Amino acid sequence: MAERSFSKEVEALKLGDGETFEGEGILAVTKALLQSGVSYVGGYQGAPVSHLIDVMVDAGDLLDDLGVHLETCTNEASAAAMLGASINYPLRGAVTWKSVVGTNVAADALSNLASPGVIGGAMIVIGEDYGEGASVIQERSYAYAMKCGIWLLDPRPDLPTIVNTVEQGFALSEATHAPVMLELRIRACHVTGEFTTKDNRRGQFSGRNKLSGPPKFDYMRLAHPPVTFVHEKLKAEHRLPAAQAFAREQKLNEVFDGDVSEIGIVVLGGLYNSVVRTLGRIGLADLFGAARIPIYVLNLAYPLVPDEVAQFCAGKRAVLIVEEGNPDYIEQQINTQLRRADIQTQIHGKDCLPAAGEYTQDVLLRGLAAFLIKTRPTGVDADAIAARVETMLAHRPAATKSTGEIPPRPPGFCTGCPERPVFSAVKLMQRELGPTHISTDIGCHSFATLPPFSMGNSILGYGMSLAAAAAVGPNMERRPITVMGDGGFWHNGLITGVASNLFNKGDGVLIVMQNGYTSATGQQFMPSSKDSYAASGQTMDIEQTLRTFGVKWLRKVRTYNVATMLKTLKEAMQTAERGLKVIIADGECQLARQRRVRVEDAEKLKRGERVTRARYGVDDEICTGDHSCMRLSGCPSLTVKPSPDPLRTDPVATVIESCVGCGLCGEVAHAAVLCPSFYRAEIIRNATAWDRFLFAMRRGFLGLFGIRFPQAEPALAPIPALARASTTLDARTTTPT
Amino acid sequence: MSAAPDRPITLLIAALGGEGGGVLTDWIVKAATHAGYPVQSTSIPGVAQRTGATTYYIEVVPATWRALNGRRPVLSLTPGVGDVDIMAATELLEAGRAIANGFVTRDRTLMLGATGRSYLTTEKMAMGDGRYDRDLLIQAINDNARDNLLIDMETLAKANGTMINSVMLGALAGSGVMPMTADDFETAIRAEGKAADANLRGFRAGLAAAKARLPVVAPVETKKHSRETLADLERATTAFPEAAREIVLEGVRRLVAYQSARYARLYLDRLAPFAGGDPILLRETARHLAVRMSFEDVIRVAQAKIAPERFARIAREELKASGEPFVITDFLKPGIDEFCQILPPRLARAILRLAARRGWLGRVYFGMEVNTTSVTGFLRFWLLAKLRGWRPHCHRYHEEQAAIENWLGMIRGAAARSPNLGSDLAREIAECARLIKGYGDTHARGTANFASIETQVIRPALAGAIPLPLAIDAIASARAAALADPEGESLTRCLAAIAAQTALPTAAE
Repeated sequence: MAERSFSKEVEALKLGDGETFEGEGILAVTKALLQSGVSYVGGYQGAPVSHLIDVMVDAGDLLDDLGVHLETCTNEASAAAMLGASINYPLRGAVTWKSVVGTNVAADALSNLASPGVIGGAMIVIGEDYGEGASVIQERSYAYAMKCGIWLLDPRPDLPTIVNTVEQGFALSEATHAPVMLELRIRACHVTGEFTTKDNRRGQFSGRNKLSGPPKFDYMRLAHPPVTFVHEKLKAEHRLPAAQAFAREQKLNEVFDGDVSEIGIVVLGGLYNSVVRTLGRIGLADLFGAARIPIYVLNLAYPLVPDEVAQFCAGKRAVLIVEEGNPDYIEQQINTQLRRADIQTQIHGKDCLPAAGEYTQDVLLRGLAAFLIKTRPTGVDADAIAARVETMLAHRPAATKSTGEIPPRPPGFCTGCPERPVFSAVKLMQRELGPTHISTDIGCHSFATLPPFSMGNSILGYGMSLAAAAAVGPNMERRPITVMGDGGFWHNGLITGVASNLFNKGDGVLIVMQNGYTSATGQQFMPSSKDSYAASGQTMDIEQTLRTFGVKWLRKVRTYNVATMLKTLKEAMQTAERGLKVIIADGECQLARQRRVRVEDAEKLKRGERVTRARYGVDDEICTGDHSCMRLSGCPSLTVKPSPDPLRTDPVATVIESCVGCGLCGEVAHAAVLCPSFYRAEIIRNATAWDRFLFAMRRGFLGLFGIRFPQAEPALAPIPALARASTTLDARTTTPT
Repeated sequence: MSAAPDRPITLLIAALGGEGGGVLTDWIVKAATHAGYPVQSTSIPGVAQRTGATTYYIEVVPATWRALNGRRPVLSLTPGVGDVDIMAATELLEAGRAIANGFVTRDRTLMLGATGRSYLTTEKMAMGDGRYDRDLLIQAINDNARDNLLIDMETLAKANGTMINSVMLGALAGSGVMPMTADDFETAIRAEGKAADANLRGFRAGLAAAKARLPVVAPVETKKHSRETLADLERATTAFPEAAREIVLEGVRRLVAYQSARYARLYLDRLAPFAGGDPILLRETARHLAVRMSFEDVIRVAQAKIAPERFARIAREELKASGEPFVITDFLKPGIDEFCQILPPRLARAILRLAARRGWLGRVYFGMEVNTTSVTGFLRFWLLAKLRGWRPHCHRYHEEQAAIENWLGMIRGAAARSPNLGSDLAREIAECARLIKGYGDTHARGTANFASIETQVIRPALAGAIPLPLAIDAIASARAAALADPEGESLTRCLAAIAAQTALPTAAE
């Protein structure tokens, strides 16, 4: 089970004709796929599209009934390759991933898919991880669509439009024999709204109505010379014009007229709402989208439709292109198209709007004001608008001054995270042996690049850390350390990193974080998720795999055991033995573990079985407020409070209620020789007779020294939940009871 | 029917990942939907949710679908600077961040703020006090918001066995800015199902708090004062000026408990020379002197570990125990240093010399996990605590008294230099006691830093080699540098800069 339960959302997927779906964008897309009669769905998780796969995993019965095959792929390349099913067969299918990174991984398969083209509609739902909230490098996916001949849909972030675009997208794909991409930005994936649903459809062929066999051999279906030369021609001469004709006929793009017709705005569908709101704020649009400046909305971002563009621009003095990022693909294309059509409309875009960063309201306000000043259309007081915008935006610097520079609050390791202790050990190791190169990867463990650890010299992609250190080790006196999660290990790291290192007789130290899930994306299962919690009969084991590959130096260490980890790290760094040294840092994701253990403990308590619960504490009279412990931990539950000592001013350490008793505080206090303030307190519920006897004896003995333990009280306050949902992706599943 | 609204009501929520901001947003969307108002929410989850700062943005059109009669509003997915009606922040620094980002304006924004703080790692890591200035944040809210409702939501949530999100929902309902009624919100909570009762309690508490508009109360700092002690000693403190009396009294009480009445008398004697001078210097010297004289040796740690109130506090407040068996395990890792602390000076010095020769110092430790609730564990601490009477014969005691006399001597020397500047210099020297704290490495580092500042700045200043105003600045900046990083890089840089600066006048002569 992933982090969040989607049982309610699964119900929404079952809605039929004329009913109302309420929910977020990415789930509306999921419903639209089922309404479009897909035969297969696949993908690799990653914000902001994880929910598409997560909800499908929870919707087993429904998919069964529709005959839809679901594949939770090990990486985006395997997801993209799935679309190969649509090359030969009239099977509609969709895959999803986080872009641009996922598209990069998928690129090989995408090129080879786009070349022969498809018979069944093939759709890639990409979560465009761009702008605020993004967690990857800032690039747009647009270039992939252009170079491969994949059509890129970028619908207005309005649920009925999104759903309609999905349905139209399959038709477009089939009409043109090209795959399509449906791009949703982060906020569009999570935007809430409603639309009127239709019945789900079974595909023409599916698990319920299987194909009888392969088609007659057709070399044209292969991405292999010499037909690749034919494909290239087909793309340019047939598929592209077909896509443009389809867009024109089906009115994929929209024009909203306005009275200030001497100028216009061309905007990508996904940015439409922001543009309308911005126009509204300067008095040029109302709440319902009626704008004074005509707007041409590109729900189909690639390809452009030249005669539509010409028609919109003709008769206008100037047009503003609203397209975030760099390069300005659309601006360049429109410039070319207008030159060819000999239309003299001035094209504005990156001269008014920035080349980098998300187009938020303030960015658009400034851009629109600049456009109006440059064009000065009649009937619009450009100067007054520009002055108004300046006043609106001038507030921000003044406000920033009043608060001072607010330090950032990046995400970090959760309370009790099994990965934190590994970095405590690495920090202690470096203190003894000196600093070394640390090659980091994608995953929760990359939080170690932030305070208090601030470790890591490079991040080259998911599962790439070992490969990224291949040329560092031979050129450095000390061995580099490479960190990889188990998610990254299966996604890519095993082949790209481990096999390559062994094949080249490399050296170095690899730490594999074995927490059992792809935790950063919401704790989805992956190949080595343990049987005990994945309950899916999987047996892939990282340790065995590495041994089979030929790793000789291999240690498995429980992550919370800082002293052992420190010793093992030192050994790996100092041993004369050549070759790859792998440390499997073993510790189940604490978020997942807590969710499991809490239920188990509650049941045990109910059954009257013995349950112990531990938490850590700091004696505030003993703590002197140096905070060494924080510099080796950074746990959200280990924090500061005002010193209770009337003679001291520096705050002291304290452990708050969300502590899950992982044990790191005690381990670090020992391994780093900190201070004697830390203690572990453990309570035994449903104690055995022996527990009670022992406790009574101790109580009696300590009583001789004036120590009084609290006695049972008649009325009991309810026992608070073990841990506040301090760090869950979505508190829905963890609201305390 | 009134005319259609020209803009929606906009609500930006700033929260920390995992606080239930997503659920809060769902409740608001459900309440609006239930009441028939067009509504849209967006968020930017992803890994930002893992304890990091995140936001949720909601727009509600204050006219029902029915009143709009088929017209479909176009709602924005991003908040705009100067376009936010309600800024809800579940944490005080996040309220500050929203202000810094320009989302709170005097003409429009109501700030709904929780007054609790969840400290950043960088605030917690500081070697001294790295906490962001709370008063600055409150002032910024007052200066930038149209109105504000600052509520201690954390306490209300705890009292009602719920999370902060339901209390925030109540405050939102109580603010009166939203078109939905309290009933609409309660329906949304019930529809969500999970923990509905607790969430309803939280909601009502938030609603009541918002309606009552109670003023912000600064968090009460609960200081643990020492118990009263011998009457004649307490009377002796009245001889000190008013400004310092409270601190001196606290010092006396602490030292009687720490060692003896005689030891407390020594404290008063040491302070006597300062009684007639600058009262602030007296107060600060008294504060640091009491802390220095009650140095953290193993005897004191043992005393604290078996204090009767400790067992009660842990059992009741932290474990919520009422009769159930419990175990307290203490983590100790004494080294040779710690053992030598309680030996006679000569013996201790001999052992330390040997240990240094053999390279044992900083390497040989004895890790212990002591079950303090067990008979043997308790007795171990009890016996150690019983060594209190023996303390004045111990190595550490002698070392500390010498260090204290040295420090006091420098303060007296500085105060004697000139009435005003001398007093400032003396205060800076007194304040340097803050550097010496902690155990093991931390204590050694602090002591070494103090020694560096002493030899390179304080002694030359007392000898007249550095002009007074320069010396005062130099000590203050060296102290700040010593607390800036544990590696000592800042202090090294700072001392080098001071050396360069003070060398100039000498070179010119």
